[in-house]
Amino acid sequence: MKFTRSAKFALAAAASAALAVSLLTPAQAATRSTVVIHHTNVQTGLNCGLSTTNSTVCTDQAALTGMGFNYYNDKKELIKNTTFGSYKVIKNSKTDFRVQYTVAPGRVWSDGTPITGVDLLLSHILGSDTYSIEAGLGDPASKTTKPAFNGQGYGSTYHKNIVGEPVLSSDEMSVTLRWKSPIANWDLYGPGPAPVHAMVLLAEGKDGLQSASANLAAKDRFLAAYKSKDTALLKKIGKVWSEDYTITTINSSTNPLLLISNGGFIVESAVPKTSMTLVVNPKYNSGPKMTGSIDKIVFKVITDGTAAVQALSNGELDVYSGQATADAVAALKKITSVNITGGEQAVYEHWDLHYDSVEGETPYTGVFSKNGGAKAKALRQAFLLGIPRDEIMEKIIAPINGITKPLCTSWVAPGTSAYDKICAVNGSAFYTRGTQESRNKTALALVQKFYPDALKNPIKINVLVPGGNARRAAQFALAKANLAKVGFELVGDVQSGWGALLGSGKYDAFFFAWVSSSVTQKQSCSVLETTGGSNYVMGYSNSTVDKVCTELDVAMKPDLLVQKYITADRALFADAVTLPVFTHPGVTAINKDLKGLKPAPLSPQLTWNYWEWSY
Amino acid sequence: MVAFILRRLGVLGVILMGSSFILYNLAAISADPLADLRLSTDPDRDAKILALTRELQLDVIPPLRYFLWLRGVLGIFIGQPDFGTGRDGLAVLDSLALAIPVTLRLVAAATLLAAILGIMIGIVTALRQYSRFDYSMTFIAFLLFSLPVFWVAVLLKEYLAISFNDFLREPNIPFNWIIGIGLASGLFWASVIGGSRKTFWTTYVVAFVASSSLVAVLGMTGWLLDPSLGPIVVLVLSIGIAFGVTQISVGLGNRKALGASLTIAGLSVVAFYPANWVFDNYASALNIFLMVCALITTSVFIGLAFSKIDRAPIVRTTIITGVLSANLVLIDKFMQTWKPYMQTDAINYRPVPTVGERNDLLNSPDFWISNLDVITHLFLPTMALTLIGFAGYIRFARGTLLEVLNQDYIRTARAKGLSERTVIMRHAFRNTMIPMATILVADFAGVIGGAFITESVFAWSGMGTLGLQAIRGQDLNLLMGVFFVTATMAVLANFVADLLYSALDPRIRVGSGA
Amino acid sequence: MARKSKASVESTEVLSGENAIQNKEIEGLSQGQIVRKRFFRHRAAVVSLFTITSIVLIAFTAFDWKIFGAIKVPGWWKWTPEDLPELRYGDCPNDTVGCPTISLLPKFLGGQGIGLGNHPFGQDDIGRDYFALVMRGTQRSLSVMVVIGSIAATLGVVVGSIAGFYRGRVDAILMRFVDFMITIPVIIIGSVVGYRYGNLGAVFLAVLLGLFAWTGLSRLVRGEFLSLREREFVDAARVAGATNKRIIFKHILPNAIGVIIVSVTLLLSGAILLETALSYIGFGVVPPDVSLGLLISQYQDSFTTRPWLFWYPGFFIISIALSINFIGDGLRDAFDPRQRRRISKKERQDSATARKLAQAND
Repeated sequence: MKFTRSAKFALAAAASAALAVSLLTPAQAATRSTVVIHHTNVQTGLNCGLSTTNSTVCTDQAALTGMGFNYYNDKKELIKNTTFGSYKVIKNSKTDFRVQYTVAPGRVWSDGTPITGVDLLLSHILGSDTYSIEAGLGDPASKTTKPAFNGQGYGSTYHKNIVGEPVLSSDEMSVTLRWKSPIANWDLYGPGPAPVHAMVLLAEGKDGLQSASANLAAKDRFLAAYKSKDTALLKKIGKVWSEDYTITTINSSTNPLLLISNGGFIVESAVPKTSMTLVVNPKYNSGPKMTGSIDKIVFKVITDGTAAVQALSNGELDVYSGQATADAVAALKKITSVNITGGEQAVYEHWDLHYDSVEGETPYTGVFSKNGGAKAKALRQAFLLGIPRDEIMEKIIAPINGITKPLCTSWVAPGTSAYDKICAVNGSAFYTRGTQESRNKTALALVQKFYPDALKNPIKINVLVPGGNARRAAQFALAKANLAKVGFELVGDVQSGWGALLGSGKYDAFFFAWVSSSVTQKQSCSVLETTGGSNYVMGYSNSTVDKVCTELDVAMKPDLLVQKYITADRALFADAVTLPVFTHPGVTAINKDLKGLKPAPLSPQLTWNYWEWSY
Repeated sequence: MVAFILRRLGVLGVILMGSSFILYNLAAISADPLADLRLSTDPDRDAKILALTRELQLDVIPPLRYFLWLRGVLGIFIGQPDFGTGRDGLAVLDSLALAIPVTLRLVAAATLLAAILGIMIGIVTALRQYSRFDYSMTFIAFLLFSLPVFWVAVLLKEYLAISFNDFLREPNIPFNWIIGIGLASGLFWASVIGGSRKTFWTTYVVAFVASSSLVAVLGMTGWLLDPSLGPIVVLVLSIGIAFGVTQISVGLGNRKALGASLTIAGLSVVAFYPANWVFDNYASALNIFLMVCALITTSVFIGLAFSKIDRAPIVRTTIITGVLSANLVLIDKFMQTWKPYMQTDAINYRPVPTVGERNDLLNSPDFWISNLDVITHLFLPTMALTLIGFAGYIRFARGTLLEVLNQDYIRTARAKGLSERTVIMRHAFRNTMIPMATILVADFAGVIGGAFITESVFAWSGMGTLGLQAIRGQDLNLLMGVFFVTATMAVLANFVADLLYSALDPRIRVGSGA
Repeated sequence: MARKSKASVESTEVLSGENAIQNKEIEGLSQGQIVRKRFFRHRAAVVSLFTITSIVLIAFTAFDWKIFGAIKVPGWWKWTPEDLPELRYGDCPNDTVGCPTISLLPKFLGGQGIGLGNHPFGQDDIGRDYFALVMRGTQRSLSVMVVIGSIAATLGVVVGSIAGFYRGRVDAILMRFVDFMITIPVIIIGSVVGYRYGNLGAVFLAVLLGLFAWTGLSRLVRGEFLSLREREFVDAARVAGATNKRIIFKHILPNAIGVIIVSVTLLLSGAILLETALSYIGFGVVPPDVSLGLLISQYQDSFTTRPWLFWYPGFFIISIALSINFIGDGLRDAFDPRQRRRISKKERQDSATARKLAQAND
């Protein structure tokens, strides 16, 4: 031990003598040209069309590498990408609705190969069950065998409405689709470009970029195979599409044919479950001109929320986004180098009251059952009135994104003019009028009409409480406390596997959320429609709502659409069966120096306008 | 013996089969891979559910599906194992192959470090039983052992990464810090060395002055921004190492060993500039490996040259000294790389990262910069795991050594007049290592399983993250893949521990009746 | 105790320094008295015993108790975790809400006087009293710890000692069973149970985890038994005609108790951490139930903004785990006949020879 001590002495002496006294100039911030984006999900490959690869990170990255005829902006508006091409309706009758898609001349893939109408044909193979069967690629509806293109585009709206096959124009720059009828949101189902020449070359076993003429020849081979339904070649291409694009390890030895794309960025490297790096595509001309200064974008996977916040504050991330907690938001606010945008995710939290037995579940005979007539309806109204929505907003949601007004409809997102129009007259006012105190009075009066001593002997209400979620636990605690004031006693059953219990006759009330993934005009029908509505857990049925949902299959003008939504909402509110509360709060924190990044509610949420980003 | 081992392995196979069957069914009934889709409002929901059902063969009931899974796994015997595909589209086998090295890098290093540190401190606390040092180390060990790892991670990131990086912008060490570090270091050294009150305070003052002035000098010279040791410090430290190693290994009385150690330490310093030249021009892992080989060969020759009889301990001492002092040269090289590393665009003067295995933006061809990047990324997670892990080793090492020190053979060794060093190092320490070895083996088996939470909070994609991903994402194939690796390792490690125990401790017979 | 069988060895030592003092001290005392005496000399252990007793008392008397469902014992704390008092706005640092009202700085030092205030630990997002939540969490975590610990300790010691003592076929079968249990990861069991039966509550989860957490201890105990049963004093006892039961309980177990106690205390503090880890992943105690682990994992984000939400439950976890470990340390020293305690200065001065010998011996 003696030596350690003397060694320490010597170290001190020697260190002071030996070290050169060189004071460094303070650190200078270099001009950045890179953006590191946080994601909670792991990358799943280059093809987002498989059932296993569909994820937000895939669509964020796909938006960088691919440009089509249109994209969503941050206001949920569908913007036409006229640089890439144009589309117009060329025939509009009730039974024959045709749209022509034309690629603008001169657009190129990242390997220089021109983009033509041929590149739009793969969409049909991926969407039409009929084509898959006819070309011998397998029946996508089969439960036992996989189709050659093992995607999830089959059996969908496209397949149900397309007539015949897309028609390629003689100059091979346009494709015309024919639909059964003017279907709603037809512009979402149009074709997108795919580098078919690369897929043919990959299917033929090539492992490097080819000459321009070889690329064009490959494209021709695809067209021939497509037209003649050449099962052998198409199957090979299907294998490439389904299996080769799922790579998550990408580096200099990766086959460059796999990386051919037409977006502003191309994938340079990827480390599985860790990160993916994209660099600027020098040949990019398929979308708005790059006005920014970013030349590298990295997606970094951090699953732990706190870790991501700390990484942001340590400068390891430029963009953080997620469903944060109030404390995470407060922590983010303390980081001086970032801007915070409180946003909303398209996830709607709502309370449902059991109305009738649901098929396949234990029968429901509780107090809210429709068999209870006027009494049950009064109780339902009282219950919904007693949900302290303002308090829930103020205590749980506002600390995260500052929004204090509860939702009044789930047809359109708050903040739009349509939303305000609908809310004014859809019947939701009954639940927003006055203060919670006055609403409590109304509710108590409704309850006491049937249960005069409800305050002493409260009505027991069984509620299914989704487990493992602190926010829902808090929401339940608030609801329980306030509903006690109007004569209800909430009995919570906490279940982690609550999804399977929805609709069970054991419960009088449910609260959970559903995700809205698109902006089609009938989107909420999949929840609210009473025949075939997927999330319908309360056994509720209303012919008015169903009728509206059928009508929404056809494209209609915005004003008429709003009227339809109002009609449906009125029916729903009149029966007092469901009440929306809030949209889940989202938070994005962006490096202050990074300009132009505007988070959008729809996917791709972060990367939709990458060409405008700059430092 | 061979028959016994084969029989045991056969039984282990059956055990694995049984537990995997149970786990598969448990996991299958508890997870609902379609849960997300059921709550989705996607118009193409049914098609997606169909595709996923087909993909994961969900229409086969779990007990039967297990055998489909097992058939793939048994492909191991024909060299084509198939663990199925995870929900993320990756073959489970590929995921495992990627995760295991990452986990080994992170958790193995931390476990080894925790074991070495823990055993060292454990031994010192046992030798100074009921001293201030013993009490304070016990307290610290228990304190660290009681901390949840994600908590430690949050604190480490806040103070050692974020605050430290902020501090590096203008690295002026405040006066109270200098004093604080001095006080802490004084307390540490005084407690370790112990002795009478006078010795305690002398040590305290010496250590306090030395550390505070060292910190002050380092602060004033901007050493933190451009650190290095330089040949003089390397020389001084090497001589210290030579003395220290010789003392612990064979005792300073052994002049030949001391001479050999000092020679190799001197040689390491002589090689300082040539080594740096190689580092600058021909840096690669292979070259460094060759240099280490050359170093060991030289050490062996020097050791042999100095000794006539009892050669092995002297050669051993020389090799240890050589490796340790050569390490100083390597450390110095990394220190020199610190400044260019911080100046890169990707690092931008924030060198301590909080997440990840490496910086994705750093695209440096420089061997030293990229390796320093790996080291800085290892820093916090290794530290977190070590801090939490070494408490157990301290307690076990202390307990075992105390136990051994009370054995009759130690009394005999002392009675026949052996020096305290010989008694401790030769007799007590070696017997302490018997139970420690079995604990280590079991711990390493656990290592392969990864550190679920640590890997997740530091965003490392090892086995732990994979396991967590499997549990959270209700990914049965992935879960079973992770299970297969960890379970196999666990049973094998226990088997090895049994064999090791009986091999090291002749009093124990294992497996006689099995 | 081994002391008996080793009497001949020890008797030669009676004259030598330290042992002389020690042996004199325990003359005429029963085993229990010796253990108690030694334990109470371990200062850290005594402090820990006091700490943990206080924590248990404070936590379990905070809320109303029902004895046999009839007699109601009122809790001493004014809030329960279910109450929803007004959230404290306005006067908190950094625009936060619900900050703690506890004050330890007396008025004359510029503080607000010593007092608990309405919400000593602050309030959570919706206004629930955080002290009440921490107390409920402590109750849960302590129960989880005790249940896991006692089940695992019992199983581990029983299986380990049977396997180690009887060896042969019994050992082989038991150890293969241990192998079987080891292969099933506790965290996966926890998550499966947490997902399926999360509502069955913390104690059920603890029982289940306890059934899986004993394997390490059993291997350790078995190792001890394998080693001890070969020792001379066991042979001596056997030659003297002692029964297996007597050999196990009187000769081997007391000698293994040190290792067992250390492992069990590590196991106990390990249990509280396992619960924390599971809660962090989301499969431990599920909201709206509360545990200490759940609270800190829920509020780890609040570390820089509302640190009290992070520190208070953390403080209780650490206090409990630390106390358990120190008590274990004290117990081990007290039980182990061969451990020597520190000799106080006065005692040293009393015997100069003792001092010399002690130095040579230590």
